[in-house]
Amino acid sequence: MTAAAMTERPAAYAPPANYKLSATGLLRSEWTKLWTLRSTWIVLLCAVVFSAGLGALVSGTVPADLEIGGAENAVGFAMSGVALSSVFVAVLGILTITGEYSTGSIRSTMSAAPKRLGVLWSKAVVFGAVVAVLFTVMVFATFFISQALLDGTELGGVSLGDEGVTRALFGYVAMIVYLTLLAVAIGAILRNSAGSIGFYIGVIMILPQLATLLPWGWVEDVTPYAPGNVSNTITYVDPAGQALGVGESWLWMGIWLVVAYGLAGVLLKRRDV
Amino acid sequence: MNGRSGRRTVVIMIEIEHLTKRYGKKTAVDDLTFNVKPGVVTGFLGPNGAGKSTTMRAIVGLDAPTSGLARVNGKHYSEFQSPLSEVGALLEAKSVHAGRSAHNHLLALARTHGIPKRRVQEVIDLVGLHEVAGKRVGGFSLGMGQRLGIAVALLGDPAVLILDEPVNGLDPDGVKWIRVLLKGLAAEGRTVFLSSHLMSELAQTAEHLVVIGQGRLLADTTVDDFVSGNGKSRVRVVSPDAARLAEHLAGPGISIASPEKGVLEVSGTEAAVVGQTAAAHGLVLHELRTDRGSLEDAFMQLTADAVEYRQTTEGATR
Repeated sequence: MTAAAMTERPAAYAPPANYKLSATGLLRSEWTKLWTLRSTWIVLLCAVVFSAGLGALVSGTVPADLEIGGAENAVGFAMSGVALSSVFVAVLGILTITGEYSTGSIRSTMSAAPKRLGVLWSKAVVFGAVVAVLFTVMVFATFFISQALLDGTELGGVSLGDEGVTRALFGYVAMIVYLTLLAVAIGAILRNSAGSIGFYIGVIMILPQLATLLPWGWVEDVTPYAPGNVSNTITYVDPAGQALGVGESWLWMGIWLVVAYGLAGVLLKRRDV
Repeated sequence: MNGRSGRRTVVIMIEIEHLTKRYGKKTAVDDLTFNVKPGVVTGFLGPNGAGKSTTMRAIVGLDAPTSGLARVNGKHYSEFQSPLSEVGALLEAKSVHAGRSAHNHLLALARTHGIPKRRVQEVIDLVGLHEVAGKRVGGFSLGMGQRLGIAVALLGDPAVLILDEPVNGLDPDGVKWIRVLLKGLAAEGRTVFLSSHLMSELAQTAEHLVVIGQGRLLADTTVDDFVSGNGKSRVRVVSPDAARLAEHLAGPGISIASPEKGVLEVSGTEAAVVGQTAAAHGLVLHELRTDRGSLEDAFMQLTADAVEYRQTTEGATR
């Protein structure tokens, strides 16, 4: 029996040596995953339409005799749709992760990248970069459209060269990217679409606003540091009067991202897929 | 790298060592130890809920063991530089985003490892999905989903294949196809480890068997030994002198049943003994035959105590 068994047993199989899991590979994979879902195109289109459309609508319907002016208000009018579109983008960010859990594709993903953390970083980097590019274009395009429509009113005649305007516009881009990244981390922590979207809208967006209605003084002191509020300062043309300075605003955005991704990373490593 | 290019000294590819996995209070896998070797198809058999899927998930690192180890080629799965080329796994069939096409699902996975598009097309053709590769997976039938899962498992051309219930949902042609495919892959020297709760399925594909029930190892043996060791083999005798023959055969450890007049079913002895007994007493035999137990019988016998969700008449009428 032994002789036959020995000759029957084939030589050990050697798998192809040129396939390697890499950080670049994970980034390309997440890029492919993002653009091969119809929902990505639909949601990003919605975000673009709302943010440009609402900005244009608000700017286009300003009465000629409106007695407010200045760069601050002009930028505020132009960007009135941005807050709304940030919700679309955040929801999409959440879905890039929770969608994998709800459909089961997370098992394929984590079998291909068993160290797991690279998947989280890649999702954040790819989606963050896409949102950064898209909204840089959007924010500036909306600003120009808005200025064209505001021409002849008190709010017209603002240019990128005016002090603080370009910085404020990039501030809007940074705010959206920050909120998007926060949403991705929330998705990774909660793993459930409805729960994550509810948490993002309820706790990140609405709760800090509701909290200002509370009568206690300390609440007022704390709310500027809430994750959904810390990015407000950088969107102002003149941030002087804000609760947080520009530097503090960036610092707190960094702190919240570190907290969110730290928790998401630890949980991703510890939990079963 | 582990002597891959040279002569292999260790021929164990999957190593399960005292693996225990508990989900809360429920123990899914209980101190399980076994090895899987390359070059043959190894079947992983057990009733539903026996812990097969949990064991397989532990091998590819999706579930962390409560204690014990699951290693592939001497390493934990997450230590590999090229996981998809080491182990190809089909776990639950639908491990795919329903909104993505089969091609794009494979492409996204291929990109992680720098696997070329050509290989994606190859596996699509291999599993016979070329006509629907561009369609969204949400509309796939169970069988198409299984084929896609198999394509995923084969994508990295891996040394080890782990397939959880791969024939589920396949049509008879598909079942035949996968049997041939798996045997061929094993013949190339790969390790093929597939689970099923159906004995008959594994009997036709696997050479070696690992049987578990309630998370514990019940048997780790070849299919042939498993049947002869656990199957109830009986000797069937047709004789006009059946009643007298029964008297002469009776003894300790031997049970004799007579399903109809002139027919005996004797267990606990062999046909040769029955024949000699008949000859010694001058009894006429019309038929003497050994009924070898089926794999199914062997499995039922072995897992009788280990079936977790046994349907009782009590439960059925409640």
